[in-house]
Amino acid sequence: MNRRTYIKSILAVGVLGTASYSLFKWLDINQPIDVKSLQGYEPLIAELAEVIIPRTDTPGAKDAFVHQFIIKVILNCNHARQQQIFMRGLEDLEQYTNDQYQQSFLKCSQAQKESVVQYFSDHAAYSTELLNKVQKRLWGQSFFTKFRNLTVEGYCLSEPGATQGLAYDYIPGNFMACVPLQANQKSWATK
Amino acid sequence: MYIAEENKNMDTYDAIVIGSGISGGWAAMELCKKGLKTLLLERGRDVKHLVDYPTANLNPWDFELGYNNTVAELAKDPVHGQIYNPGNKHFYVSDTEHPYIQEKPFNWYRGYQVGGRSLIWGRQCYRLSDLDFEANLKDGVAVDWPIRYRDIAPWYSYVEQHIGVSGNREQLSQLPDGSFLPPMELNCIERHLRDEMKKNEAYAMLTIARVANLSRGWDSRGPCQNRNLCDRGCPFGGYFSSNSSTIPAAMATGNLTLRPFSIVTELLYDEQSQKAKGVRVVDKLTHEVFDFHAKIVFVNASTIATAGILLNSKSSRFPNGFGNDSEQVGHNLMDHHSSAGAAGYHEDFRDQYYKGRRPCGFLIPRFRNLGADEKLGFKRGYNIQGHGERQEWSDRMNNISGFGKDFKAQLTTPGPWTVWMAGWGECLPYYDNKITLDEQLKDSWGQPLIKVDFSFEENEHKMMDDIKSQSAEILERAGFKGVNSFNYKKPGGSTVHEMGTVRMGRDPKTSVLNGHNQIHAVKNVFITDGSCMTSSASQNPSLTYMALTARACDYAVAELKKGNL
Repeated sequence: MNRRTYIKSILAVGVLGTASYSLFKWLDINQPIDVKSLQGYEPLIAELAEVIIPRTDTPGAKDAFVHQFIIKVILNCNHARQQQIFMRGLEDLEQYTNDQYQQSFLKCSQAQKESVVQYFSDHAAYSTELLNKVQKRLWGQSFFTKFRNLTVEGYCLSEPGATQGLAYDYIPGNFMACVPLQANQKSWATK
Repeated sequence: MYIAEENKNMDTYDAIVIGSGISGGWAAMELCKKGLKTLLLERGRDVKHLVDYPTANLNPWDFELGYNNTVAELAKDPVHGQIYNPGNKHFYVSDTEHPYIQEKPFNWYRGYQVGGRSLIWGRQCYRLSDLDFEANLKDGVAVDWPIRYRDIAPWYSYVEQHIGVSGNREQLSQLPDGSFLPPMELNCIERHLRDEMKKNEAYAMLTIARVANLSRGWDSRGPCQNRNLCDRGCPFGGYFSSNSSTIPAAMATGNLTLRPFSIVTELLYDEQSQKAKGVRVVDKLTHEVFDFHAKIVFVNASTIATAGILLNSKSSRFPNGFGNDSEQVGHNLMDHHSSAGAAGYHEDFRDQYYKGRRPCGFLIPRFRNLGADEKLGFKRGYNIQGHGERQEWSDRMNNISGFGKDFKAQLTTPGPWTVWMAGWGECLPYYDNKITLDEQLKDSWGQPLIKVDFSFEENEHKMMDDIKSQSAEILERAGFKGVNSFNYKKPGGSTVHEMGTVRMGRDPKTSVLNGHNQIHAVKNVFITDGSCMTSSASQNPSLTYMALTARACDYAVAELKKGNL
């Protein structure tokens, strides 16, 4: 990173920091995360994913082992900076939960969990498109947006998600161009 | 009828074909069927139909990381990592292993294997018309095509009847009908758009894409099972590729020798006979160098690589590259642009859906500059390709907020109908858009790196603006909401329709190939891949390469029999 980008980033942190729960420790942001410490968050990741896609009459995120998918993708398909943002997001969430309920997320009631996730969902984006663009360029997706998208991806690509949560048609054979929507029709898992 | 000693000698064949992709496969099949002992050289590994499609039957959950590429893969393959995914990665080259130099941003997407990019092509099959073949002459651009539609029309039919093209006949002069299998079907929203366009549009109309996907069994292949996983190789042979069709057909004649891992470095010129005597090959694995000899050579290495081979083949007769008297070799590089278009959603038809994954979309054939009198500010035209669908989870996740039961319910049910469409636009041939060989840098096999210097110019940019506004207006007039026009501004090469670096023409002073795809000055060398294209038209070009190849093979064998080669 050259000096100019660095200074711009510092200024941006000042602007963005107010909307983020904790300030980024800038100097560490490009260090890869410790694999074990991410894996240590596996129960929290599983619980969060289940709040986003709960088990209903079809399997939920935990049934689909979405937490394992998320950890693998974060470790293999994300740059150090994206990994750091993800880790800090998890830390922020635990900190916020502790401040609110004096206990960890895992110990919270369903209502408390939903209230925490609601808070992060509400603060995932800025109210103005410009700030969102600045944020996206600097940091990538916000923690919550990223977490939710990974949960969706992990769920919809999983066997329980694709075959029970959605409608999976392995070898369609025919193409039927216009068919009436069936009762309780799920959308196709693949396109 | 061929000399027995030659057939015994593994170095000598009747014909050599360089490259086993969509046009090379055709050359090999045609020459073999006509009785020529043919050596097919392929720089990559062998890919056998059915056997070497490792991901073809996998489910989404069989991919550990979903369809995400790893950070390590993206670092190794900054260009190809943008286009491959874990399902088809094995059909693309690695940038690190096969570097090239971008003078300006240019995506050179390659598949070095038997079958080349015919495994991963878009399968769209559109004929050119005289609107295209006469365009350069009428506009005073570049040079005139040495052929007209009547010269190639029977060969289009010949190819279509072999590969199997599904499509609808529409009686359009700018997009001639072909020999079609039954068409794929338009879905509800696409029918709506078609019907609205009939009412609203003076020239633009919509038809189902014409694709080399089999709507019924054909040539012992298919039919297409509507999985839409073509780019992994099809276990049903539901679409045409060299691997599923032309190479097995060539093999069945007993006349084909297929040699993978054979990197052709140059064509060998014989001063005495003033012909090519063969080719030089470096073995990809052992780095050994071999010469192979033949009476005729077909160069089908793909547009950029073919020009690279010619430029690398220097002799006292051709100090600037094989057959390069005109100094045109490597120049006039073209690629269609496909960045501009529009998308929108429609509020109706909520009770309608579809079943199956049709492996194609729709086509709005060229409707601009059909007459000479239009004042659009740009030459030539574009066709619009697109598809309609109901939003599924991968689109919906970006359009619905919240979490929990309601979120899940929305995520897993079909969203509104949407249409996305973009213009595939003609690119004019500019002398300055070119490939050259680097004088210092070499690849792992000691071959000079290819430099690509390409940019779209004012004509293409103006056309993109027109595509944006026309696409948006068509959708708005058809009742679509939230219409958003876009220009992705993708660099050259992104449409993977490279063309023009060894163009055909009437005059040896200004072109490399004649009307039979022969090098003007070396009549036993034929070039029938995308490099031969004199203009790009706006149609997806593979069908034209195949037709030109079949035509050139017919001519080559006739000339050979007459003793002219």
